[in-house]
Amino acid sequence: MGVRPDNRLADAPMHPVACTSCAARVLVRKASWQQTSVQWSDEAMAACSSWSPGSAVKGLPPVCDRLRDSIAQAVVDGTLPVLAPEDD
Amino acid sequence: MTAVHNGTGADEVRHIEFEAAPARYARGWHCIGLEREFRDGKPHSIEAFGTKLVVWADSQGEIKVLDAYCRHMGGDLSQGTVKGDEVACPFHDWRWGGDGRCKQIPYARRVPLRARTRTWHAMAQDGLVFVWHDHEGNAPIPEQAIPLIDGGPSDPTWTDWAWATTVVNTNCREIIDNVVDMAHFFYVHHAFPTYFKNTFEGHTATQLQKGVNRDDMRPAEVAIGAPKRLGNTSVATYHGPSFMIDDLIYHYEHGDTRTVLINCHYPIDENSFMLLYGISMQRPEVQDDDPAAADALAAKMVATVRLGFEQDVEIWKNKTRIDNPLLCEEDGPVYQLRRWYEQFYVDVDQVTSEMTERFEFELDTTKPIEAWQREVEENVARRAEAAAAEAAAAAVPQTQDA
Repeated sequence: MGVRPDNRLADAPMHPVACTSCAARVLVRKASWQQTSVQWSDEAMAACSSWSPGSAVKGLPPVCDRLRDSIAQAVVDGTLPVLAPEDD
Repeated sequence: MTAVHNGTGADEVRHIEFEAAPARYARGWHCIGLEREFRDGKPHSIEAFGTKLVVWADSQGEIKVLDAYCRHMGGDLSQGTVKGDEVACPFHDWRWGGDGRCKQIPYARRVPLRARTRTWHAMAQDGLVFVWHDHEGNAPIPEQAIPLIDGGPSDPTWTDWAWATTVVNTNCREIIDNVVDMAHFFYVHHAFPTYFKNTFEGHTATQLQKGVNRDDMRPAEVAIGAPKRLGNTSVATYHGPSFMIDDLIYHYEHGDTRTVLINCHYPIDENSFMLLYGISMQRPEVQDDDPAAADALAAKMVATVRLGFEQDVEIWKNKTRIDNPLLCEEDGPVYQLRRWYEQFYVDVDQVTSEMTERFEFELDTTKPIEAWQREVEENVARRAEAAAAEAAAAAVPQTQDA
């Protein structure tokens, strides 16, 4: 079957963001101030110090607070672009 | 001049592309219905996975599932009778055991060699019966086990399943797409999500949603006398390709109500599926005068869910399959969800980490962003100032040197 690539990533790909408190490196994309996508790799999951199995299923905040802060910091630092900042 | 336009870029017409629905069915546990309905001492017929199954309970209460078509002359075992532990074919009374072996042919001295039919792994929990399907014929994979429900009919303080089913004539990928389709909740279901989160990881795909209702848009619910709802908090997870458990809290004027919504399906063939759904509700601590009030409310809730699915079905039966949806930034992670879903349609040894690695998508409309935005603007301005000052400082000696 094969799944097509996301048309949105062609124009604006994901950006690497490193967690400031552990060795996890993830790919992040912010389409707006309100919208955040995070792509983990198995390596990042292994490096993350706060993830626990099944957290997503229980509806717990899946991004740990420290990674959340790291993403916010990357935005503040200007290393992670917000694609549609004027909309909000 | 010819009128042929081979447009490029913005002028180019976007074409919808799709391949035929996959000829195989997803690997995983598929709920086929309520346990109590299969325990009536009769064989039951389930059209699924492009074939027909017979389901019955043996004398020990174990649910057994075989191919429905008798290997003798093709009779339909699901139209037969349960005799002892076996299902008897209505055509020539051949007796088939849950292990797939023919145990007895009443008119024959002995059962021929190779009198063996296909068995399906089955299990029952939380009042539901599940059948395992794997294109490769492997036994159930432990990681794809269906977790026990927190609450629900196994807990005496909750109502029994209020349950409904309907045949939908489209490929089941359409209902999977709903996991990520935030915008359709507004336009199709008239709900207004204020917080939305998807997480795909391993065999699970989760949708966390907090929303408020659009009161103006619920005449159908008002018509059936459903109670006035203010909003809901929903944590819905697909455990494998077809079984979703939704821990759903309804916020009503009179307080919160905890419910579990099951949304599941099994493919009948590649162009149709059976949609099954049900609700169990925690009984209110203070019992009403009417002890059946909670069950009546659960039944009304299922009627509400039915309205929701009817809205979906109306869209599905008229839409086309599309492999290359043209998404805007406000849409959810449709492609990433389909990448996750793909794992159930390939051999186990073809599952790539790309299909199972964790992906998260969050939309939070509740957080005030103005302060954050201001901080960034200030930072950028400060940095621009510093850069300008640095450039000016660097430029001065250059001018002197020149």
